[in-house]
Formats: sequence, C-alpha cells, structure tokens
Amino acid sequence: MGKYLLPYRGEILKITQETGSNLNIKTFRIRLKEEEERKKFKFLPGQFVELTVFGVGEAPFGFASSPTQEDYFDISIKETGLVTEAIHNMKEGGEIGIRGPYGNSFPYEEVKGKNLVFLAGGIGLAPLRSLINYVLDEKNRDQYGRVQMLLAFRSPEDMLYKYDFSQWEKSPNTTVKYTIDEECEGWVHCVGYPHELLNEELDLKEPDTVFFTCGPPIMIRFITDELKNSGIDPRDIITTLEMKMSCGLGKCGRCNIGRYYVCKDGPVFDLKQLEKMPAEF
Amino acid sequence: MAVLKVLQKDELGKLLETLSNEFRIIAPVVRKYGKKERVEYHQVEDFSEIHLNRQPDTPPKKYFLPQNERLGEERSGEEVTETGDRKTLIFGVRSCDLSAIDILKPVFLDDDFTDTYFQNRLENTLMFGLGCSERQENCFCDSLGINPLGDENVPVYMHDDGERIWFEVKAKELEKFFTEFPDGDPKELEEKKNSWLEEFKKSAIEIGVPIPLPELVSFNAPFWKEVAANCLGCGVCTYYCPTCFCFGFFWEKREEEIDKWRTWDSCMFPLFTKHGSGHNPRETQDQRTRQRIMHKFSYHPSNFEGVPACSACGRCISQCPVNIDLRVILKTAEKYLDNQEGVKSSG
Repeated sequence: MGKYLLPYRGEILKITQETGSNLNIKTFRIRLKEEEERKKFKFLPGQFVELTVFGVGEAPFGFASSPTQEDYFDISIKETGLVTEAIHNMKEGGEIGIRGPYGNSFPYEEVKGKNLVFLAGGIGLAPLRSLINYVLDEKNRDQYGRVQMLLAFRSPEDMLYKYDFSQWEKSPNTTVKYTIDEECEGWVHCVGYPHELLNEELDLKEPDTVFFTCGPPIMIRFITDELKNSGIDPRDIITTLEMKMSCGLGKCGRCNIGRYYVCKDGPVFDLKQLEKMPAEF
Repeated sequence: MAVLKVLQKDELGKLLETLSNEFRIIAPVVRKYGKKERVEYHQVEDFSEIHLNRQPDTPPKKYFLPQNERLGEERSGEEVTETGDRKTLIFGVRSCDLSAIDILKPVFLDDDFTDTYFQNRLENTLMFGLGCSERQENCFCDSLGINPLGDENVPVYMHDDGERIWFEVKAKELEKFFTEFPDGDPKELEEKKNSWLEEFKKSAIEIGVPIPLPELVSFNAPFWKEVAANCLGCGVCTYYCPTCFCFGFFWEKREEEIDKWRTWDSCMFPLFTKHGSGHNPRETQDQRTRQRIMHKFSYHPSNFEGVPACSACGRCISQCPVNIDLRVILKTAEKYLDNQEGVKSSG
C-alpha cells in the first residue's frame, strides 16, 4: 500500500536559473530516489505535486515537464514564501519529499486532432509547458493539428524556458510569438499585453481550435473575456487554477471554489465550468 | 431482533467494569477548568464519574480525528496510527454526534484517497448510542431528519428514563456483557420513547431552507455581511463542531528526526486560504462565515447525496462568544431564497 500523507524521498538532479533576480524563478529537475517508486510514479500534463522541504514545510507545484520524459520531472518555482525560499536555497543532489501526483489533467486525449492555442503569462507557462512538450513530442506531434503560442513576459529578463524556444519553433505546423509589457532595446517581437494582441497575432478563427491559458489571474480574466467576445465556445477555453492546496486529496478545506476542490476536481477547468462556479478565486 | 436490558443507574459501574476488560472506555465525565465545569469525553477508570445527564460540551470527534495527530517520521515515512492495544468503546454518544461521524465517513473513506488514519481509528472503535429524553440546549437534530432516539449504525443504543438505563443490544457478540441484567419490557420502552418524541415535536423548529442551498444564488446573496457582522473569527464554532474537519500539517523536530503532524484548522481563520503570493480568496470575515455555512448546507450535500455537514447539535450556538445563531442564519437564507423567483424549483 502506498503512502498517504507522508512524502516519498526524492532528489534534485539539476537546478536552472530561469529568470533574473526580479522574479527569481528557478527550475528544479527532480526524481524519486528509489527505482521501484520511480517506475510507479506516473503523472499527466496539468497535474501537480506536493513537495516537502524536510523540517520546513510542504507546498503544491504544477508539473512543468512532459510525462513523455519518464526519468524525472521539472518544477519551476518562484521564491515567494517559506517553503519556496528553502527550496531555492537547496543544491543539486539535495533531498526533497514528494507526494502526488494530484488533480485532474489537461484534456490531452480529448483534444487529439484539434488545433491548439497556448496563451501564457510569466510562470503560467510552467504548467502549459508540460502539455506543450507532450504535444510537440515527436511521438505525439502528428496526433494534433496546428499549434500556436503567444508567450507573454514582463521583460526579456523575465523569460522562462528560453532553451526550449528553438525546439518549439522548429516543430512542424507550429508558430510561437513572444510579447513583453514595454518596448525595450534589442527586442524584435511583440510588445503589449497578450489579450490586446490575440486577434492581431493569432489565427483565432480556425475551426476546431482549443485554447489553453495560464498566467496571473487578471491576465486569465482579460484573455478569457477577449476569446469569448471573439465567439469562442467557453468549453474550448481551458485554464488551470492555483489555490492553497495543502492536502491534495479534497479534504483539508482550503482550495474549494463552491463544491469543487481545485486539488481534486481541478486544477484544470474550462470556462463553461468556471462560469457556473462562485466567483471566489 | 435486539435484546432489551434494563439497568439501575448504580449497576452501570458493574457493566462498565466487565466491558473494560476488553475495551478502553471513553465516556462523558465532568472536568473542572477553574470555576468552570464542563462535560467532556474522556478515558474513564472510575465509572462513578460518568455523566450522562446532558449533551457533552465537546463532541467525540477527537477519537477519530485527533486535534493533533502524529502522522509519522517525515523522512523514513512509516504511517502509523496510534490506537492502543484494546479497542475503544465510546459510551453514551447522542444521535447528533453519531450522525456526525457518519457525515465524516464519505469524506475520509472515499475510494480515491482513503484516510488510513481515520479508517484505522474507526475500525478500532465502537460506540454505544444514547437517546435524548429531552431536548438539549440549542439542538435541532430532529429538524434535519435525525432521530434523537435511535441510530441503526451502532451495536448498542441506550435510553435514560431518569432512574434506569435501557440497553437495546443489537450486536450478538456484545450480548454476553448483559446476561446478568434483567430484560426490559419492549412495550414500556416504546411508550417512553413515544412520550419523549411527543415532547420533541412540541419544541421542534422548522428548517425550511432547501438543502443543498442553491449554490450561486445563496453565494451571491447580500445577507452574509449582515449575519457575520459580529463574527470575531475566533473559530470556536469550528472547534466545537462535531463535523468540521478542516486540517493542516505541522512539523516538529524530535532529536535527529522530524515528525509530520496533522492538526485541526479552521476556515474561520484569515490565513487559512492565503496564498504565498499574498492573494487571499477569502479575505473578509463574511466571506469566511459564508464558506462555513455554504460548505455545510450547500457544497457538502451537493457532493454527498444531499446530506448536510451539520448534525444540528447546537454547540456552535451555545459556544459563540457573540451569539451568532445558526438557526437565525438558516432562517435568513430561507427568507431571502423565498423572495428569489424560481430558486426552490431549480434547486
């Protein structure tokens, strides 16, 4: 029988500094220590994991890598509180607790054969990267239609996963656009907030297109409004929510929005579901 | 068919004596806190201390979800439930508190994530029910469809007629503890139960609000600010509640090891839902009061076959330092919803 509330032991394989010190986001490559446990650990794009810094505490993080990468997973973390600060201070080879995976997933099966649009803001790209890398994986690429991305960052210094971009751009039938909040020297891509650029920079009118968005709450709101105004069916607008998930099991009582527990019924919801939920997020 | 036994009150000690050979006995006893006397569930050695005369101030929830529970050593990770060597027998549990445990079951025994700690304690515990021969301070279980004089899920159900204690022994394996005591007359007990129920009916209140409360209309209603205006956010209601189950984790260093603990937490506390980013989806006290009531009367019944997460024991009413009354909140909701067209029919 598996463990329930105590974590499995994992190790940090690699730490990548993603952004400058302003946002201070690092990506941690992690795996379970025991091979037996590693084999059993299967996650889906959109799910999350509870990481424990031993003696400090536990916090939830979305998977930022594709499950097609089986030996490890990536978690991108912004330094913001007690647990994230402790993780940021850890070194490669350090020991970390792992509980999960938890939550539902992006509907990666249901959207096979469809065109996909990814709209990301800042670290909101992290959970989408799990699905992007799954879809663009050579083994899966031909099962999905056209892929368009609009990736928004505050400034060039605040970009994540720069090392992925050339791969994504090279993938067949895929376009990637980048935007930053304000004009700056040497920047050759778009400037402005993503919801203002949607209609101009992306082809929204293609039938059978599903939209995935994640970013700051205010960005998600503007983007979903814009997409709805463009006539997109709310069921085709998919996002992933963040709440203070503590147990991950739909029990501890923190993350519910109405009757739904973000940790168990979510974190992935479509706009049609969100519109029926109380506005408490 | 249950075996019916009647004991004089001074014979209770004899019964409990024999039961204690097999079980760890937990029962309501009077405990003194300064000048204040409270009736609480506690392990008993001296059976003359047992106090069955009124609803205990605190529910027996802690024997299933301890207020602080050591989950195990965080790194080596053995999950152990410390239940002791004997089975636990909780003596004299009233219908509200019995129903409360039933309310917790689908949450903690769900197929996806069975709570092994709760499950182990549940399997290691049996309860003797106790009927209420009169209404307690602020309770209204009968208004939520709970029978104050019976519960099918316990092996033994007791009735106190003032002089004697009646035992409906439903579990065969427990009959051996009762053989030396005289049989009771089922007709006599039936008559007593009927007269007690009659009294209950006279003081019954009507809970006319639809359960589950319709989610969006109730959530967006303006009355939450009004009903929560006095709330201090002290969380007393949640700590006395037999069904509140919100929890958190904490960690404790023990020599070289680190223990992970689970502790009761409360949706009434402002930091309960606060994100690391600083964002808090339930920033104000009225939002948190709304969460508590909506969880009990809307979200929980929506998720679990219409059963509210409240057994109407009335302790939140008795203990609230600013006299917030759940019955008034439900009445307010009822009035508001009555004036919203089509709400009742659309559920």
